Amino acid sequence: MSGLMRRKTRQGADEDLDMVPIMNMFLVIVPFLLMSASFIHIKAINASVPIMGELSKSEITEKKMVKVTVIAEIMPDGILLSLNSDALGPQDMKKWTEKITPDDKQEYEYSSLKDYLRKLKTEYPASDTLIIIPAGDVVYDTIIKIMDVARQSEDKINLFPNVVISGKVT
Amino acid sequence: MALGAMRQKKAFTPVKLQITSMMDMFTIILIFLLFSFSDQPEITGMEKGMELPDSISEMNHMDTLKVILSKETLSIGDKVIAKVKNGEIVGLNPIDLKSSEVFKELEACLKNNPPEAEKYNDARPILFLCDRKMSFKTVNQVTKTAAMAGFPNFQFAVLNK
Repeated sequence: MSGLMRRKTRQGADEDLDMVPIMNMFLVIVPFLLMSASFIHIKAINASVPIMGELSKSEITEKKMVKVTVIAEIMPDGILLSLNSDALGPQDMKKWTEKITPDDKQEYEYSSLKDYLRKLKTEYPASDTLIIIPAGDVVYDTIIKIMDVARQSEDKINLFPNVVISGKVT
Repeated sequence: MALGAMRQKKAFTPVKLQITSMMDMFTIILIFLLFSFSDQPEITGMEKGMELPDSISEMNHMDTLKVILSKETLSIGDKVIAKVKNGEIVGLNPIDLKSSEVFKELEACLKNNPPEAEKYNDARPILFLCDRKMSFKTVNQVTKTAAMAGFPNFQFAVLNK
């Protein structure tokens, strides 16, 4: 009995897992993965520029179905927000005209912009278009930040995902 | 002494390579590389020192025509079309955009590779890579010219935060 036990122990000690084939496989996989690895994650934001098209007028009575277009004019002294819609009267649209002035550090208050857009989206849920009209000296980074604010709220609700960028028409 | 040395020789067993630690290292590398694996098309032609803006966007870009606007050059695909000096694109007249080299090149791209209707919903977008510090005045000249050449839709390339 004790001899059998000794033999078993000896056999167990000799058993070694042959890891060479696994190593070979790793050596093949690692260069392949190195080639297809990406360390900079480039993503994209959809945008468009205005093109000439035919006007379509539709009779919409329900507020939930009303589509409004938000116009954000980015100027050095603030963001001027206004609405444009076929279904709303001038008085209704004027109510939504607002200017967001920069803070003490001369940075735009993106939180105020987000609040405005969220309020507007609650009022007119069918709306999805924002037109950004930046001044000539506004940097590209600011435009992207405003697009980020306009597209999604913190609770992942789509606010105004269709962004159109336009130069100011004088 | 000699007998002792002989006995030692007899006890010699072949050396086995200890690859457990190497296996551990490879496993860590493999996991790291699997996480950074990307099936996205590679973006080439970006100038050294060019900085893309940060964004929260999670959308992947399409494999489409690239327009790269850096502080020094404007390229379409991998071809440098114009130089940029002090935020102005050399040879691009804002009043007559159609006469510029940029317009002609984009128009040629559209003619040579007409958009596949099934792949792109309406019009083929341009993947626009632009330096974060570029002014809208310059950006607008490029986007306007592209729209006139038949590319009104864009995908602005950003860095995922």
